[in-house]
Amino acid sequence: MKMMKITVLLVAGVSLAACDIPKQNKTVDNGIDAKHLSQLVAGVWVDPNGCDHWIIDDGVEGYLSERMTPDGRPVCSGVAPPNTAVGPFREGSDFSDTI
Amino acid sequence: MATSVKDTLRALAGGAIAAAMTLSLFAGAAQAQTSTVVGEDYTPTVWIDPDGCEHWVMDDGVEGYMSPHRTRDGRPVCHRSEICGVIPTDQLFATDKSWISATAKDQLINFFQSADAFGFMIYGHTDSRAPDEYNMKLSQRRADTVADVARAAGTRVVDVKGFGERQPRAQGDTAVALQENRRVEIYCVK
Repeated sequence: MKMMKITVLLVAGVSLAACDIPKQNKTVDNGIDAKHLSQLVAGVWVDPNGCDHWIIDDGVEGYLSERMTPDGRPVCSGVAPPNTAVGPFREGSDFSDTI
Repeated sequence: MATSVKDTLRALAGGAIAAAMTLSLFAGAAQAQTSTVVGEDYTPTVWIDPDGCEHWVMDDGVEGYMSPHRTRDGRPVCHRSEICGVIPTDQLFATDKSWISATAKDQLINFFQSADAFGFMIYGHTDSRAPDEYNMKLSQRRADTVADVARAAGTRVVDVKGFGERQPRAQGDTAVALQENRRVEIYCVK
């Protein structure tokens, strides 16, 4: 039953995006949680070395990118222990990620 | 010509958007060659992280991709609105010195305690009047001094570094430009 619901959601998402297949405009999210990508909301994921990355769980898409000092070295702030994620990284989408 | 149009239509029907880009490859100093690269159009947009730095981001349907926007020498491209303090070093240090007065220390402690940040990144910079290596060491000592004050204030230091004269804020060697370049920058980490 749960699997069925997920399938329905996925199909709905794909059909909403149908006007742009194959997806040519990579700068927007056309799915259930449609928006321009500049509006993504990030949290911090701390890698096994203790250094920070921006983490964004945007429904069916996930993003990860480095946090850097002005000269390009990793920022290892100690905001959380290694292998943890903190902050509002799931706030950008209401898509319920049950998988 | 007809074949080329047919090929294009076939490519579109097949779902592939072929973008042909022409590159100039330089063989040796004088001889230039041209080749054609066939690829798909993946034009990113820009996402700005909470520190003010740019990342390339693309949503390819159900996949998402992201990577930092860096200059070719590896520095992130940022709009550093979160620099919460740029202190002209003339207010803290005498020429060539890296110790600060008790008054200046109290002011700094007050700044760190009222900044409401998780931690601080502290960077020292000098003007260009002395040798590069000397300035690297001087700016490091000055950044270390400010970082010691941050720790004494009970706040967290995330990063400390001296950049010497290598990252000037103002160009030129007028007295005004030199003074603007003698500074300690404090970034607030939220």
